[in-house]
Amino acid sequence: MAAAPPRPAPRAGREAPGREIVRAAMAAAGGEQQQQMLTQRLKAAVHYTVGCLCQEVEEDKDVQFSKQSIAAISEITFRQCEIFAKDLEMFARHAKRTTVTTEDVKLLARRSSSLLKYITQKSEELASSNMEQKEKKRKKSSAAKGERTPGEQEAAMTENEDSNMA
Amino acid sequence: MEERGGCAGGFRKDTVDRLLRLHFRDGRTRVNADAQLLMAELLKVFVRAAARAARQAQAEDLNKVDTEQLEKVLPQLLLDF
Repeated sequence: MAAAPPRPAPRAGREAPGREIVRAAMAAAGGEQQQQMLTQRLKAAVHYTVGCLCQEVEEDKDVQFSKQSIAAISEITFRQCEIFAKDLEMFARHAKRTTVTTEDVKLLARRSSSLLKYITQKSEELASSNMEQKEKKRKKSSAAKGERTPGEQEAAMTENEDSNMA
Repeated sequence: MEERGGCAGGFRKDTVDRLLRLHFRDGRTRVNADAQLLMAELLKVFVRAAARAARQAQAEDLNKVDTEQLEKVLPQLLLDF
C-alpha cells in the first residue's frame, strides 16, 4: 500500500490573493467590469443632464423637485433608452440598414401626434442646416480654386496701390 | 469654471450615442450624426415632459414635487412615448 504523498495545504494569505488577482484580471479582460463602469458613467451623465433640465422647469414653474424625484426621472430616462435603442435597431434592420437614421427616430416618436410634429420639425431644421454647411463648403472650395471673392479682389488692389507709393 | 447661469440644457451628442450603443444587440449597429442629435432632442422632450407632468399632478398647494406626483403621471408618459 503506497501512501499518497501529502499535498502541501494552500498557504492562506499568500496564494489566495494571487488567484483573486488572476480572476479579476480575467473578468476585466472579458470586459465585464469595463461594461459596468461604462454603465455607471452613462447613468451619471444622464443624471447630470436630467438635473439641469429639472432646474430649468423649477425656475420656469417656481417649484422644487426633491432629490428622489430627480433620481427617479433619471432612472426612468436611462431605462427608456434601452427600449429606444432596441426599437431603433429593429427599425434600421427592417430597412436593411446597420446605421440608424433620422427616419428611424421619427418612427420612435409616432405615438403622440404633437411629439411627432415636434421631432419632424427638428429633423427638417437639421436637414436645412446641413444644406447650409454644404453650401459654405462648396463656396470655399470654389474660392480656393482661383475664383476670387469680392473681398480678396479689394485686398489685391490695395497691395498694388501701396507698391506705387514706394 | 465658467458660470453660464445653469448648465447645458440638453444631452450631449456622444453621450446619446454611447447610451444607445450600450443596448444594441448587433455590434455593427451605428447611429448617424443627425439621428444622434435628433435623439438628444427626443430625450430632452422626454425629461421635460416627465418633470412638467409631475408638477401638474400637484393638486395641493405644495411647491415641492416628489416621487408621489411622478408615480401619478408615469403611465401616461410611457404611453405617449
